[in-house]
Amino acid sequence: MTAPSSAERKACWEARDQLWRCLDDNNDKATCCQNFQSEFEAKCPAQWVKYFMKRRDFLKYKEKMQTDGFTPAEGPKQPS
Amino acid sequence: MKTRNSSHFDGLTIKTKLLRTRLLVTLLFGSGLLAVWLYVYSEKQQKLRQQRIQQLQRVALGQGSFSLLDHRGQRRTKRDFLGSWVLMYFGFTHCPDICPEELDKLSAVVSALDRDASLPPVQPLFITVDPERDDVPALARYVKDFHPRLIGLTGTSEEVKHAGQDYRVYASPGPKDEDGDYIVDHTILIYLISPDGLFLDYYNRTKDQEQITESIRNHVKNYIRL
Ligand SMILES: [Cu+2]
Repeated sequence: MTAPSSAERKACWEARDQLWRCLDDNNDKATCCQNFQSEFEAKCPAQWVKYFMKRRDFLKYKEKMQTDGFTPAEGPKQPS
Repeated sequence: MKTRNSSHFDGLTIKTKLLRTRLLVTLLFGSGLLAVWLYVYSEKQQKLRQQRIQQLQRVALGQGSFSLLDHRGQRRTKRDFLGSWVLMYFGFTHCPDICPEELDKLSAVVSALDRDASLPPVQPLFITVDPERDDVPALARYVKDFHPRLIGLTGTSEEVKHAGQDYRVYASPGPKDEDGDYIVDHTILIYLISPDGLFLDYYNRTKDQEQITESIRNHVKNYIRL
């Protein structure tokens, strides 16, 4: 299985960003962003879909900790 | 005769005494200066020694030589890169976001340094932590998305592990899914290697393109060959 090309990576990231924006705008209600979700899943390898979902949780957690003034000590860990 | 002699001798004794005193003062003053100079000198030597020890300590982290295949299928060892500045990054071609972002940053840094004619060219290297999937053709496809001088390196899992060990690189593949796809959790540092092949500095994700470029510029300008 070959790795996504540069163009495929970019298409995947774009679909991810659109989905994330939709989730941000809709208080994380997945039902509101079904179209974006399926677009995201179509454009990204399944492994990346799982990874980016976890990554979003991590980034949100980090953001929350930073705005609340806590240091993220035991938050979700993020592989690269 | 005796008196004259004695007075003559007395005069001589006084003169000698005066001379001795002057000599003594000069000597004391001189040795004082010498002591100060010696002190400063030894301090400087001590500092140089300390610097050298620090340099050698850094040698410990990156002293081993790697032997890997580049993205054109040619065998490359660390020796081939002696004499040039090297920026090195470990990653894998199936990496979702961090590797491509870091390699974009690394490429931008190298391009920025390229534009400064007073600096020697810096050689960017990408070493895979996923030799199972990243063979020569996979690397050839991957490196062309980044700086034109970027060299991709791969090998057997032992060769790759050995190359990473010298830089304390951590890499751990995650579970495989139905497609056999997996994510490798790994160290995401950019390493700067001097023309002597010594590890000099590293940059983490929080360092941006400008900070890294500036740091390398300083390292190159202040560099003293061992
Ligand atoms: Cu990565």
